[in-house]
Amino acid sequence: MSTVLEARDLAKNFGGLAAVTSLSFRVEAGEIFAIIGPNGAGKTTTLDLLSGMLAPTAGTVHLAGRDVTRLPPYARCHLGLGRAFQVVQPFPEMTVEENVLVGAQFGERSVSGAEARRRADEALERTGMDRLRDVPAEDLNLLQEKRLEIARALATNPEVLLLDEVMAGLRPAEAREAVTLVKQLNAEGVTVVFIEHVMPVVRDLAHRVLVMDYGRELAMGTYAEVTADERVVRAYLGEADGEAT
Amino acid sequence: MNAARKGAVPARGAPAGLVRDLVLTGVFGLALFLAPTLLRDWFGQASVSYLSLGLRALAVALLALTWDMVARTGQLSLAHGAFYGAGAYTAAILLKNTGSPLWLGIPLAAVVGAVLALGLGAVTLRLFGIYFAIATLAFTEVLKAVVQEALPQAVAGGAAGINVPALFRPTFVPGEMERWEIAFLRNQSYFYVYAGILLLAIVVSVLIQRSRLRSAFTAIRTNEWVASVVGVNPARYKLLAFVLSSALVGMLGAVEAHRLGSAVPEGAFAVHVTVLALVTPIFGGLYTTVGPILAAGVLATIEETFKRSLSDGYMIAYGLVLVLAILFMPRGLMGLFRGLTRRMKRGPGPPSEASASPAAGGEETGA
Repeated sequence: MSTVLEARDLAKNFGGLAAVTSLSFRVEAGEIFAIIGPNGAGKTTTLDLLSGMLAPTAGTVHLAGRDVTRLPPYARCHLGLGRAFQVVQPFPEMTVEENVLVGAQFGERSVSGAEARRRADEALERTGMDRLRDVPAEDLNLLQEKRLEIARALATNPEVLLLDEVMAGLRPAEAREAVTLVKQLNAEGVTVVFIEHVMPVVRDLAHRVLVMDYGRELAMGTYAEVTADERVVRAYLGEADGEAT
Repeated sequence: MNAARKGAVPARGAPAGLVRDLVLTGVFGLALFLAPTLLRDWFGQASVSYLSLGLRALAVALLALTWDMVARTGQLSLAHGAFYGAGAYTAAILLKNTGSPLWLGIPLAAVVGAVLALGLGAVTLRLFGIYFAIATLAFTEVLKAVVQEALPQAVAGGAAGINVPALFRPTFVPGEMERWEIAFLRNQSYFYVYAGILLLAIVVSVLIQRSRLRSAFTAIRTNEWVASVVGVNPARYKLLAFVLSSALVGMLGAVEAHRLGSAVPEGAFAVHVTVLALVTPIFGGLYTTVGPILAAGVLATIEETFKRSLSDGYMIAYGLVLVLAILFMPRGLMGLFRGLTRRMKRGPGPPSEASASPAAGGEETGA
């Protein structure tokens, strides 16, 4: 396996607050990699650093062996990094289809109109949003917004997909659907990095889990390894157990 | 949009919406071409003033449409006066200092507008919202000062400005035509030049609205960061809109200088040019091609009517109309029409998930 995404000694300070401190990890091609941790552990900040929304205070980000630390988000997107946001961010003035088309048209450096349309159609179908293609994005409910968020990221044809708590707020059946989708994508070769609070989802999906606390790596390993780790249990203070059962 | 839908025949070549819009542009162009002659036949001598009203409407439409192109990328530009003035001075300085052909100033004004926009945009488009607006307003003042103070008076005419030769000098033939027909012919010729530039701007606007540029512009306007994460380079498309818009405004400035006979700092870099450029599309409906043009016609007519019937203080009434319009039609004339047509097509209320599957709301509103 080869490394597709790597963080080397990443750090991000907001004023005096160290949101992320000397964080290093490698995500291998074809892997499903989970980032978990208590609220405020720096998980979303880490995704922001990976996708280029934030510039790190120190450290570097590598995508497919290339140092992309200084590249803006769109350039990282062109290199194959897709992202779905935790706080869903559709373009409300556009329809569902138009939202997804943005990703399809601009996700890679040059995409023909027909190819973009094909990718958009595929992304809409896979996320079950094709019935809603003509609905304005502002009329969607939360579940639909989350699906749209994934569809738009998918349409950029990513090799690595960053998913930020896409299961949060979903009912169990919906979460199972989402899990199936992520598994399918992964089977097709998409590497997935996801943040998740719902522990069964992490257990079902993740090949490896990075546990963060106070902006640092607390533990790293398989689901079984990290949940057996005493420090992890202590950090969660039962939160993990509560959600796991 | 619907043409390439699953199951439908895949669209070949240009999408239907683009063809339709270009045909409509052609029809509008034909109407503009016929307008002066028809006015003359119907109204005789009075057509002279109708034609100058038409000229004003065309000029305002150009300002408004080009301003809207920049607004589509989420940028509030207060530099329209700068590019208008730069265009006027390009033609003026060129003709004063060189033996250039009379018409060369107009395309050159487009080039100067584009280059200035490229320079200003490269520096300021990284700024967000109000900071960009302030920077562009300052740019207008700087450019005015450069023309008035920094450039040698022999070249740029200082505060007094430069005389600019007319593009058209219709000759009076005694016996064959009446006095007023000179003014008519003059206005008619300028009318065609203005109309030509406006049609060019409309084509640019339609091409934006019917291509993936529209996606990019709207995405950037809605959320620049998210747009970037899905692959859109915000700076690139904001700059593109700014450059296209400024080139077109530069041309307008040059032609206006020819028609008015001079380029003067206070007139060419006037704040009211900038204000017109932004008020008109807001009145008509932002982010559309038709809205700014429609609003230019309506506003020019309202202004002219008030001017005649109220004489002094007509600007107060005119301003009141604008304030009321913006208060009660937040989406402008186009929003008003859209609301009406939507209400006629289907009952009120948002579409539910179940009823949304068959091409509901498939009608394009891009024009």
